[in-house]
Amino acid sequence: MNWTRIATVGEVGDDEGLAIKLEGRDLALFRSNGEFFVTDNICTHQYALLTDGYVEDGCVECPLHQALFDLRTGEAKCAPATQPIKVYPVKVEDDGIYVSLG
Amino acid sequence: MASTFPSDDHAAPIVIVGAGQAGGMAARCLREVGYRGAVIIVGDEAHLPYERPPLSKAVLADEQVPDVSLMPASFYAEHGIDLKTGTRAIRLDADRRQVELEDGAILSFSSCLLATGGRARQLPLCAGAAAAVHTLRTLDDALRLREAMRTANSVLIIGGGFLGLEIASTARMRGLEAMLVEQAPQLLERALPPLLSRWLGERAAAHGVQLHLNASLASLSEDAGGVRAVLGDGATLRADLAVVAVGLAPEVTLAREAGLRIDAHNGGIVVDAHCRTSAASVFAAGDCTSRPHAATGALVRLESWQNANEQARIAAAAMLGIDTAPAATPWFWTDQFGCNVQMLGHRDPALDYYVRGTLPSGCESGKALLFGVREGRLEHVVAINAGGDLRAFRDAVDQPLACAPQALCDPDAPAKQLARLALGRART
Repeated sequence: MNWTRIATVGEVGDDEGLAIKLEGRDLALFRSNGEFFVTDNICTHQYALLTDGYVEDGCVECPLHQALFDLRTGEAKCAPATQPIKVYPVKVEDDGIYVSLG
Repeated sequence: MASTFPSDDHAAPIVIVGAGQAGGMAARCLREVGYRGAVIIVGDEAHLPYERPPLSKAVLADEQVPDVSLMPASFYAEHGIDLKTGTRAIRLDADRRQVELEDGAILSFSSCLLATGGRARQLPLCAGAAAAVHTLRTLDDALRLREAMRTANSVLIIGGGFLGLEIASTARMRGLEAMLVEQAPQLLERALPPLLSRWLGERAAAHGVQLHLNASLASLSEDAGGVRAVLGDGATLRADLAVVAVGLAPEVTLAREAGLRIDAHNGGIVVDAHCRTSAASVFAAGDCTSRPHAATGALVRLESWQNANEQARIAAAAMLGIDTAPAATPWFWTDQFGCNVQMLGHRDPALDYYVRGTLPSGCESGKALLFGVREGRLEHVVAINAGGDLRAFRDAVDQPLACAPQALCDPDAPAKQLARLALGRART
């Protein structure tokens, strides 16, 4: 896997998100219950940045219409979204957070 | 999975009248909680259940008509749901537990859910100008309006509510001249505090909408293929088409004729917190209902996507006799003039409002939160482009405020921290 360093651990607080641009993609780095997740940052329902949304219990809620996504699987857990968001492998080494776009 | 409801296999079906947001979601919820008995949905529109919020926005504006289906077409057959579209129910007999369809068929039910929604209110004075006068409630209405907007240069909107403003916003996005007539002195007077009504009016004007507030409509007539409106003060407006957006009349014919209790004030089918009507075995959900306000118990009719979903979930559980969480705090959104505006809780004229952030003026973007407080309770929160921040306050609405309301206006503190402060759960 090709790992790219995208942030340091201190840059994103618990239940917060950070928008990341990488290789032309809009990615979102989230931290929830101490764990880090990287997903696509655009809601699959309508254009909105998920990093402007609400993070809790391993899920992010879209700021526009409250569509809820599982950060681990990307699954759309409630209406109005029906399509999942893409999720990416993440690793933490020392204080660096790395993502693999595959 | 084994059937968990004793009467699943032998009982008469659950019949859902109305194939909109509430009807479709209720069927889905019945399956999600494990009910395996027969479910029939009867809907008079030709379409599969669909979502209405995009009708005034993406369906009118996008290059291609977006898919607005509530669930994929295959969902109903896959879940053993008998969906009868293009079918009108004409009679409900609550005592005999039967629904009669237009074609004479009789459906017996174990429980019946009325999810009949409503119809766009019409203006009687539009009768002579029918061809160029539109309303917007159904997908077919939206497709007809979309087609008319393709060749029109101007649109006259009667009614400055959420729907009228969204149509005006979409019309401007498509480059049409837009005029809006509202009889009240302010836009959305009942839904928003005066500060926000004024702001929204300024925003609409900055986007090129000609607003006529405090204006009554004396006549609306056909004029060379378009429409001509004469206002109470004598002013004349001409447009290629008109949209009447003066509210929704709940569709309660079946319920009324069946003797169910109807709210004399708001016209909805009266239900309790479990979506039970005044007749045993008959439930109701969505725009057609008049339901108790969680905090005060007063009956209110909520026309919203969220209320349809919440009541669908609650009615499904009630029909099966199982427990479910109470209805979430009312939540509503509108997208217009480049802003996403969300409202949580109930608006009341007695509330005092406190603002965090700055309302984005003109065509600018920006974020703000408004907190509506009465006697130390947070009752209403409005977010401008700040839905994520609003979400943090979901548990704080209808609760005593544990801090001074001014403390919520700190623009530097994260919303979650402010919500904890409001609830008295601040981390030390």
